[in-house]
Amino acid sequence: MLLPKFKFHEPKTEQEACQILTEYGDKARPIAGGTDLVVNMKKKLMSPEHVVSLSRIASLKGLQKENGFVKIGACFTVADMIEAKDIRENVNALSAGAAALGSPLVRNLATIGGNLGSARPAADLPPPLMAYGATLILKSGKGKRNIAIDDFFKSPGTTECRPDEFIAEIQVLTPPAGAGAGYINLGARKAQDCNIVNVASFICLNKSGVIDTARVILGCVGPVHLRAPAAEKILMGEKPDKVLFRQAADAAKTDCLPITDFRGTGEYKRAMVGVLTQRTLEIALDEAKKNN
Amino acid sequence: MSEYDVINSRAARLDAPDKVTGRAVFVDDMSMPGMLYGAMLQSPVAHAKILNVDISEALKLPGVKSVVTAKEAGLINYGVSPARYDETLFCSDRVRYVGDEIAAVAAVDLETAMEAVSLIKVTYEELPILLTVEEAMAEGAPQLHDKYPGNICAEVHQEFGDVATAFKECDIIKTTTFTNKRQDAAFIEPQGVLANYDLSGHLTLYSSTQVPHYVQRIVSMVLGLPMGKVRVVKPYVGGGFGIKAATNPMELAACLLSMKTRKPVKMNYSREQVFLFSRARHQFVHKMTTGVKKDGTIVALEHECYLDGGAYSSFGIATVYYAGSLLGGPYKLQNMKYDGYRAYTNKPACGAHRGHGGVAARACWEQQLDMIAEELNMDPLDFRLMNMMETGDVSCNDLSMSSFGMRECIEAIKEGSDWKSKKGKLPKGKGIGMACGFFVSGAGYPIYRSDTPHSTMVIKLTEDGGSAILYSGSAEIGQGSDTAFAMIAAETIGIPLENVRIESGDTDFGVDLGAYSSRQTLMTGHATKEAAEDVKQQVLDVLSKELNVAVEEMDIKQGRIIFKNETPDYSVLKTAYIKEHRGWTDQPEGAYLTFNEAARIAFLVKGPIVGTGKYSPPILGGRFKGAAVGTSPAYGCSAMIAEVSVDMDTGHVTVDKVTDAHDCGKAINRTSVEAQMQGSISMGLGEALFEEVKFDDKGHIINSDLAEYKIPTILDMPPVDAIVVETNEPNGPFGAKEVGEGGIMPVIPAILNAVYDAIGERIYELPMSSERIYMALNKKNKK
Repeated sequence: MLLPKFKFHEPKTEQEACQILTEYGDKARPIAGGTDLVVNMKKKLMSPEHVVSLSRIASLKGLQKENGFVKIGACFTVADMIEAKDIRENVNALSAGAAALGSPLVRNLATIGGNLGSARPAADLPPPLMAYGATLILKSGKGKRNIAIDDFFKSPGTTECRPDEFIAEIQVLTPPAGAGAGYINLGARKAQDCNIVNVASFICLNKSGVIDTARVILGCVGPVHLRAPAAEKILMGEKPDKVLFRQAADAAKTDCLPITDFRGTGEYKRAMVGVLTQRTLEIALDEAKKNN
Repeated sequence: MSEYDVINSRAARLDAPDKVTGRAVFVDDMSMPGMLYGAMLQSPVAHAKILNVDISEALKLPGVKSVVTAKEAGLINYGVSPARYDETLFCSDRVRYVGDEIAAVAAVDLETAMEAVSLIKVTYEELPILLTVEEAMAEGAPQLHDKYPGNICAEVHQEFGDVATAFKECDIIKTTTFTNKRQDAAFIEPQGVLANYDLSGHLTLYSSTQVPHYVQRIVSMVLGLPMGKVRVVKPYVGGGFGIKAATNPMELAACLLSMKTRKPVKMNYSREQVFLFSRARHQFVHKMTTGVKKDGTIVALEHECYLDGGAYSSFGIATVYYAGSLLGGPYKLQNMKYDGYRAYTNKPACGAHRGHGGVAARACWEQQLDMIAEELNMDPLDFRLMNMMETGDVSCNDLSMSSFGMRECIEAIKEGSDWKSKKGKLPKGKGIGMACGFFVSGAGYPIYRSDTPHSTMVIKLTEDGGSAILYSGSAEIGQGSDTAFAMIAAETIGIPLENVRIESGDTDFGVDLGAYSSRQTLMTGHATKEAAEDVKQQVLDVLSKELNVAVEEMDIKQGRIIFKNETPDYSVLKTAYIKEHRGWTDQPEGAYLTFNEAARIAFLVKGPIVGTGKYSPPILGGRFKGAAVGTSPAYGCSAMIAEVSVDMDTGHVTVDKVTDAHDCGKAINRTSVEAQMQGSISMGLGEALFEEVKFDDKGHIINSDLAEYKIPTILDMPPVDAIVVETNEPNGPFGAKEVGEGGIMPVIPAILNAVYDAIGERIYELPMSSERIYMALNKKNKK
């Protein structure tokens, strides 16, 4: 399969990138690692006339911990995310998501911004980022804006990001004491897989050991990654234990809309939402206890 | 300590340096001045009449040099078995699957060729499509081929002994049905070609193939060229597994385009086209009934089998025979009845794929035997041992086990896996299972009826006496055959491996049927040994005359001439050699006569020293219809134990450990033998747990890529204890026989039996995806 013809731009600054994207609008598409876009272009599912590489913009590649946030540049690679101490020590479920993504070769190229911008309902990074309540910084010629990740995804392949905008940074609030999160993906094989179901859970315990924040995120079982409100409601204000987690897991099964496709039946996916919800909550609880 | 100097070692592969540094040349690395690029138009619909093909717009596109259709190619039927030549290069009146070839274009570059393909206008009248065996065999179903009514491509009916009577003596009669799924071999290198019809009228085709000889035959037949004008050359090949064991339409199209344009033409399959061409493992539905006495004696097997063949025959006749005949062993079985049917459907044709025809059948039966052992309250390992054939046994369908180290294999895995302390003693969710299998070491008969030798070999000594060069039509496709033949030649002549070079995969070098049916080590190995003996004899004959020593009193070992009795005065020869090599740096040292010196002298006396060898199997097998399929000069056999963990909530199966033993006769290269065992386990594991080519209801493949068609990654591979069991096969060179395909036989059933041990439920359908296991567990919990 051959790539369709396109014009390739390699801006060196964010400003330059803004200019190019403003000029070409929806005829342009930003590219970072290209692990999703290039495949779709080869399959002729997308054929932008202008491909704008963000890979030479140094300011998009950073990782900082400041003001209680872990700030990750959009072009930070998934391979580097696994290695990054600031991510592992502060938002470990995100490390787990990064480690689950693709294969070493894919991870060397793929970036955090690309994994969000491509908006695949089975992607590995959105669930942990939604569990941590991350914020995306979008930039364009008109300036920058912050958007909560819960509001970012619109449908498979489409997001809140306008054609003249690009994702510049992802900010994750460092979880407080008593917080923990877990991420698990279920695929057919152990690597390089499209997930059948993936789930991330986050809980925060207050001083008396009661859950005062709970977020459960379900992947592959809706057009976008879903919050599981019924599950979260069951968790909130309760003391965590296996029985509670089982109830939350059962509720999560009602929070999703899995379809039957060649990767699995809706029935199986729904059942797995329950299993993974329970298991990620247990991981989250272990971590929360350690962080207390 | 081995009694051999070269073989039976772990010699490094000759191709390893080139492959690990990226210097190995595969067909896609090749280019020629003035080369054109080809592309093919393949049907987008699964079944239709072709009303019209209009190539006029394509021809008008600048850069297009030729467009060919059935009109240009003619309608010569070809295929694999002459009994079922049911394909033409291009479809003329009908397409039968999504991917069926209609036209091809040659242009100055690939973009132009592909654009031209998109400009060809085909008018179709769509016909009803048949996607399953049931649909194809239903009364009143549309006919895919006029010549084969009822859409039956081939059927087999065989009975050995008397099954009905035998069942009356049985205490346990067990019936199960089992199905696998259509596979793709997922070799790393998609098929590719470079065809060059030169200005003197000779055609050279460089192709990623397992069988240069068969491709040469079909190309010359379909394109109407004398065989002597067609040369097929195989560069390095990135795997084949049976799919590249026959001619593909791209090979023919590129040759035709090169003949039309008088330019070299290059073409490649994309990964999607690899799936479209298919020719990989069929989907089989097996129904087996086995009768056993209460002492554990296996008495009779009744077997019915249906194959979803796809649109054309390919290897299918052999496949449907193999599916039955390969159950004749490895157990002593006197009564066997087989009814097999291969149906045409509107899908890509299936063909030969590692373990040809026997893999799903073996899985079905070995699982059933485990069920019977359980009912008998016998250890499945002991049950198999008590029924096992031994060296010298002949099966009810006339397969002769001239060496058979199965008992040693079973003992080896039993000990290696600590079976006794695990079987029946593992916690819920953990399981252990075993299975056995065997396979041919080369098909006893060629694909077409012929007295041609199955293999020829030419070995030429270089004029300086320093090297032996092997010339062979055999096919190194990544399995290590070049290294094996070089080792056999070095051992036979008595020289170090580093002094041997091999040129192979070229029809100009001789006839070799190629790399399929696990034949080359035995068959090409024999031809190599014979040619090497010829060379050695010629050198010793000259020495004998020069030194006046009888040939029988001399030998060649490790590059030196050995005088068994008195050492003659050979100083004249040494002086002559020094004179010839004045100024060279490679003067032999040491107080002995080297092979170099002797071979140089032989050249001076005789001229070129060229040895030849050939191999034809003896007449094999019975006289019943289809008796040829399954015959072989020798059979490799293997036994395997799998240990698994099953996640009882998700159904996910992990294979934790494999203990595998294979009797390969004498191992020529031990590392290569183990590598074939490892590769078989990886391939079998994928088929057991993940792999399935899936179609939509219009006959389009929906997972024609390696992201959605899931072969195991290295992380899915368990640690493997590969135990090489050696016997001395009387019909093999140095006692060697196969390992390439036989290794896959026990893999799937061993995993099936281990999963049962873990979850207490039998699975009768592959792949054992997490969902399938989960559903089985769910059903069990509801009981």
